[in-house]
Amino acid sequence: MTTLNDSRNLPQAEPVVNFDEPPVKPPPLLAVGPLAWVQKNLFSTPLDALLTIVGVTLVIGAITGFLGWAIGQANWLAINFNLRLFFLGRFEPEAEWRVTLLVLLVAFTIGLSFAAWARLTRGVMLVLVLLVALTFGLPPLFRAALPVPATYVAAGEVGIASGADTITPQPQLAFIARAGETVTVRLADSFSGDDASLSGLSGFADDAANQLRNAAARRLETSARIDEITRLLAGDLLTSNQRAQLEEDLAELSVPDAITDTYALNDASVQVRILRGTTGEEIGAATLEGSTASLSVTLPEDGWYILDKGVDGGAGNALLRADGVFPLLERTVTRAADEAGTGRSGSIAQYARLTDSFTTEEVRPTADGRNLPMATIIDTQLRGTRSFSEYLSLFVAPFLGQVNTAVLALVVAMFAGYFGGQALDRMRSPANAPRRASGRLVAWLWIVLPVLMFVFVYGLGSILPLTDTRRWGGLMLTIMLAAVGIIASFPLGVLLALGRRSSLPIVSLFSTLYIEFVRGVPLITVLFMAQLLVPLVNPTLAELPNVFRAMIGIILFSAAYLAENVRGGLQSIPPGQEEAARALGLNGLQVTLQITLPQALRAVLPALVGQFISLFKDTSLVAIVGLLDFSAMGELIVTQTEFLGLRREVYIFLIVFYFAFTYSIASVSRRIEASGAGKALARKI
Amino acid sequence: MPDTNQVTASNGEPIIICRDVNKWFGEFHVLRDISVDVAQQEVVVVIGPSGSGKSTFIRCINRLEEHQAGQIIVDGIELGNDVRNIAAIRREIGMVFQQFNLFPHKTVLENITLAPTKVRGWPREKAEAKAKELLERVGIPEQAAKYPGQLSGGQQQRVAIARALAMEPKIMLFDEPTSALDPEMIKEVLDVMKELARSGMTMLVVTHEMGFAREVADRILFFDQGRIVEQGTPTYFFESAQHPRTKLFLSQIL
Repeated sequence: MTTLNDSRNLPQAEPVVNFDEPPVKPPPLLAVGPLAWVQKNLFSTPLDALLTIVGVTLVIGAITGFLGWAIGQANWLAINFNLRLFFLGRFEPEAEWRVTLLVLLVAFTIGLSFAAWARLTRGVMLVLVLLVALTFGLPPLFRAALPVPATYVAAGEVGIASGADTITPQPQLAFIARAGETVTVRLADSFSGDDASLSGLSGFADDAANQLRNAAARRLETSARIDEITRLLAGDLLTSNQRAQLEEDLAELSVPDAITDTYALNDASVQVRILRGTTGEEIGAATLEGSTASLSVTLPEDGWYILDKGVDGGAGNALLRADGVFPLLERTVTRAADEAGTGRSGSIAQYARLTDSFTTEEVRPTADGRNLPMATIIDTQLRGTRSFSEYLSLFVAPFLGQVNTAVLALVVAMFAGYFGGQALDRMRSPANAPRRASGRLVAWLWIVLPVLMFVFVYGLGSILPLTDTRRWGGLMLTIMLAAVGIIASFPLGVLLALGRRSSLPIVSLFSTLYIEFVRGVPLITVLFMAQLLVPLVNPTLAELPNVFRAMIGIILFSAAYLAENVRGGLQSIPPGQEEAARALGLNGLQVTLQITLPQALRAVLPALVGQFISLFKDTSLVAIVGLLDFSAMGELIVTQTEFLGLRREVYIFLIVFYFAFTYSIASVSRRIEASGAGKALARKI
Repeated sequence: MPDTNQVTASNGEPIIICRDVNKWFGEFHVLRDISVDVAQQEVVVVIGPSGSGKSTFIRCINRLEEHQAGQIIVDGIELGNDVRNIAAIRREIGMVFQQFNLFPHKTVLENITLAPTKVRGWPREKAEAKAKELLERVGIPEQAAKYPGQLSGGQQQRVAIARALAMEPKIMLFDEPTSALDPEMIKEVLDVMKELARSGMTMLVVTHEMGFAREVADRILFFDQGRIVEQGTPTYFFESAQHPRTKLFLSQIL
């Protein structure tokens, strides 16, 4: 039926009735398999293919470059040697058990959280068990099967020149070793008569040995330069000016004699002796001549030994390879008088071997009233390129050896939480809510943990003696600052957000002014002002430790940003929500707590997590008010003489830990986003 | 032609009394001298063109909007600035919104039990029993554990009705309850509302569903430009309306 004058002249639609029910079919398998995926996702267009190739090349290049450096050249001793500083700072050793207990409790709670809110797959558990097994199994295996880098020391009385410096080998070198270990000294034969191999010396080398290495390298460079100039002059591509310049250069250069010849390296026989450090008693001596002779001594007890070496005739030098002599580090430790029965108290020197965790507090040997030169890591450094097996035995094995007990304890605590939670659920949870019991327990634990953290670390009146906040440091301090900052700034930020939206003008004005002011200044200034202003606000607070003032600064700063995030969330809630709640008779507080705030927080969870992550990282700014947090500790370590120049290694270590923590925070937040009403909310309204 | 500004209820005691209610949005005079009484158990349907003030009017009755002049007395309590009066009145009035306004972060059961436990102070068991009874009544007992986002529009609106009824109100306000629904879902909501009307609930309904108005209403108020232009029984209203504005409106929608 057409009521309008239709000039379109279309055919009448034929009625069609379909009583068939087509079967429900699975989607077609158009493209399956890895090859199809690669084709579709990586090489679908020429530009795509180009980007893939460029990207993959860059990534592979970066990774191989990094690994080559990390394995072949990096010196990770600064990490291995300072783990306690990195993790605990200078925290009192007497209170260390409190931190240990706390960390184990956290691991337990994490395990319990998995029981209550997620599941650990068999694969993950297996990986954890394997991890523990490896940390225990690998170090002895590596130590037994893989060589530690060799130690080279020079001998003789002739000064070795390279560039402007001349270094004369030390006649005696003190080192520490364990009872039962064997020290073997022989001539480093592969270097005699061959500057090329001398310049490639790799391993630990004392300053004099290193000077030989540098001299050889310098000579080879000069010789290469002369060859190049000669080659250029022989050709006819040069202008007369260039030719004149090169001839001038050539006249200034001369190839010195081979370094091995100059210092008559290993020509004469060498007298070596091993002496007991405390008594000077000789426990082994030999005359080394030729490549087969060696002095091998099994050491009777832990402590100091002296390697005494001299070249016969005094006319030349020798390069010795001393297996079992390793660099060491001197540090100061505090000991009570009654401890260890040494009778010494106060600050005493402790010596630690670099290649493992062996330490001694035996007094350093002296000769004629002067300290003997030691194989310190300053003048017996790691030089040259190392093999993968040396990397494993020198860095990986000692690292694992230091952390294996901790890893075991953490994994055990976590499993205890996990299986304990499951057992609890079997006994106490009702059938319709099979995880209620563990869920309640874990919620309580997470609420109590921050309080416990503070009490355990700081102390509590007469029950737990207070610790010295000036000695807080390292990762522990970073976590304390971040946790206190996040937990305390959260309610404050929510209050400020609600205050800014309040209908009371004074509240709203104050909140707005506070938020805008704090957001307008850098965190550094807030930290400084917290140091300076807190005592002015209330003179009794002048005694407040530095750390707490920094915490106040962080809380005040973070609250302002948090308030704006929460306010954004509150604004995103449709007004109908509040109207519906009010129409039901809920009062203002109930509307906020039950309806608007939970939805607002969920809506801005990603932003909140982002803020918490940046807060975690921003705690590193407390360094400017004199606190030694995780990153400041790294910076402090590389300013020690022993670890100068190892900033790259230390920063990589810092990066790994910062990333591990922030990534964990982000993963947990993703879980929360997807939980409960999250999926329903994603499609909401 | 009856006097449109002076009306008393036809039967029973008035439970809502409005006297010369006026309201402005800024300069805009949105309600002009509204005077109307609603008797107990009466079903009053409010119709009118968009912007005529009908939603604002029923939102004034539970104080979601504040009237600026005149008197509104609900169940013997006058609505003023006294917070306690407002709270008391809101306990007695249930409201259903066009956009449902369910709480998306709470399950259906939690949506319904929230107000009885928090406002009335009922124990949880009592509130849950009541909620299950109401879900049965609105025909979706199996959805209690779901979140609103997992329900269809019609189901959501029925949950919203159950949520309002859980407070055992004396009066129910409906603000265009079917306007956001697909045609197939409108009927399921209207059926619930009809059943509610038959059970003796006092209802004030803003709607565009003329069929519902004709079938269920005891009285129809026609709003235009902030005043009640005409009112009467459905029969009167649909068959012998006098005012030219009413006639124009009816001619456009029927």
